[in-house]
Amino acid sequence: MKPPIRAAALALAVLLTASACAKQEEPQSAPAPSGTAGQQVVRTPSGSAGPTCTLEKFGGEKFDLTTATVGFSQSEKEANPFRIAETKSIKDEAAKLGIADLKVTNAQSQFSKQITDVQQLIAQGVRLLVIAPLNSDGWEPVLQQAAAKKIPIITVDRQINAEPCADYLTFIGSDFYEQGRRAADRMIEALSGQGKVAILLGAPGNNVTTERTNGFKDRVKEKAPGITISFEQTGEFAREKGQQVTEQLIQSNPDINGIYAENDEMALGAVTALKGAGKEPGDIKIVSVDGTRSAVQAIADGWLHAVIESNPRFGPLAFETARKFLDGEPIPGKVIISDRDYDSGNAEDALGEAY
Amino acid sequence: MAELTGGRAAVLKPRLYTWAQDYGVYAAVLALLLFNVLFTPHFLDVSNFRTQLVQVTPIVIVSLGMALVIGTQGIDLSVGSVMALAASLAVLYLGYGWLPALAVALVGGAAAGAAGGALVAYVGVQPIVATLALLVGVRGLANVLVPQLVEFRNPGLIALGSSSVAGVPVIVLIAAALTLVMVFVVRRTTFGRQVVAIGGNRTASELSGLPVKRVLLLVYVISGLLAALAGVLATARLQASDPTSLGLFIELSAITAVVVGGTPLTGGRIRVVSTVMGALLMQLLAATLIKHNLPQSWTQMVQAVIILAAVYATRERR
Repeated sequence: MKPPIRAAALALAVLLTASACAKQEEPQSAPAPSGTAGQQVVRTPSGSAGPTCTLEKFGGEKFDLTTATVGFSQSEKEANPFRIAETKSIKDEAAKLGIADLKVTNAQSQFSKQITDVQQLIAQGVRLLVIAPLNSDGWEPVLQQAAAKKIPIITVDRQINAEPCADYLTFIGSDFYEQGRRAADRMIEALSGQGKVAILLGAPGNNVTTERTNGFKDRVKEKAPGITISFEQTGEFAREKGQQVTEQLIQSNPDINGIYAENDEMALGAVTALKGAGKEPGDIKIVSVDGTRSAVQAIADGWLHAVIESNPRFGPLAFETARKFLDGEPIPGKVIISDRDYDSGNAEDALGEAY
Repeated sequence: MAELTGGRAAVLKPRLYTWAQDYGVYAAVLALLLFNVLFTPHFLDVSNFRTQLVQVTPIVIVSLGMALVIGTQGIDLSVGSVMALAASLAVLYLGYGWLPALAVALVGGAAAGAAGGALVAYVGVQPIVATLALLVGVRGLANVLVPQLVEFRNPGLIALGSSSVAGVPVIVLIAAALTLVMVFVVRRTTFGRQVVAIGGNRTASELSGLPVKRVLLLVYVISGLLAALAGVLATARLQASDPTSLGLFIELSAITAVVVGGTPLTGGRIRVVSTVMGALLMQLLAATLIKHNLPQSWTQMVQAVIILAAVYATRERR
């Protein structure tokens, strides 16, 4: 038994000390985002979008947010800029408001885990739930438990298929279909309404993918009949896949004029592929959605034409909505935020606001 | 095998099997090449061959180690996570320069391989269980070390992923060289023969005094080393370290390459060049469907058919 113990001990020692004497590259000097930079702005003025909800109608009772237990259920691992910024925004805002007991869970992209996470939060006695849902369907068991205890639920970034003001309080997020339409507008402008465009689709079977695709295609169809969408393949929202698909694409379709990437990571993968193929910035116009720091930098460098923002900083708006609701003000069933555009005109100035 | 009895037909059938087993993957690659030459625009461009070879490189390198492991009747599910670990170690140590970073990544890969190998050889844990534990644990470790995608600017590492010698990308040359080394190791060295002997009959190998445990340990260390190298090369090519998604499911691609290449999962036989062909076949297939703009789900279904055909061709005859 000696050699295995020795080998295992050695392996463990190597792996555990791995980060002890690490020395990374000097970080690129990017300006740190200031406190309120890039904050979300509501597009639909509260009260105007359909029926509204009040505390009385919902059936709950008023409580003090700062002394209550609040739960936040995150859907995916905080490994991409969007999720990192989203969780950080919720935590920061809770700290700022003096909410003493914020419980945060992460479902690691497993829907069954997210259901259990939320059920445990309910069992721990949360009075308010903020959920970033992984899926839109399958929430009934959780919603019933929350409704029985009159816990208001605010879903952020993705919607759930249920009745606002009854099953949950409201949804705060972007309009993904509109993001696709606006991306199309920027692509049409970049190509002057003529040319061949490829789409790097997001992960299959995801409503973000579907809506960003439909918005883009519908807008191109109605506004620019001179643009043909000659290629669409999934890059699964990942940089490496975006790079590989783009390499295949530009090799067999050298006449492509534009690439619409449904998130920034795939767009940046496409940029690496174009560099590898000896292209110059601007040879192929790339439009993407998200607004991460690296993508806005890529606009400044000339590789991306425009980026439609999808703002992940839900903290201030989520707690503001909760406060209004508890104060008895009417809350709309949907709070749609207004996302910005980044292009060569504002990229350098906006770098500090990108996430 | 014995083909002493029976008439002509009875002899012909096993021969056909043997042929399919030995050369099926070459025939499939040729057929797919022919299809593309006829129906895919710009297929004969040099840039196309470069794209396909560059993209298949990490899978080829990982498959070489996998072939060795499968030759011992084992399996290594941890390769994708080891790639991710190497990617995170490389970027953590990049401040010292790219060569030290590469060295640390390789040491990390070897250590992970040694952990798996020790469990298999000395503790007697089944390979699928031991490396499954590593698949989960090492990915977690990689994510703890580097929790999110990190871009880097080190010119040496970027050059490793993007430069060419006489028109051939450096990383393709590395994969080709490693393939030749592996052919030599399997066919001409004592170690290679020991690996095959252990996979063929472990008990007999032990009885005849082969250092079975040491060889097994070394096989997993080699697999870990190769996976780590593949991880660094993939990172160099992406110009970013992405431990969350790098190498996800590559263990399945590598096992597929080995199986499609005609190496039986029952061990005792290692086909190195055919394994590389198996990886090329899968790459070419994926590229063909992408270039013809067919959905990814089609690729997966066609891959399943090819795997089944390969398993049918290499199954043990009664």
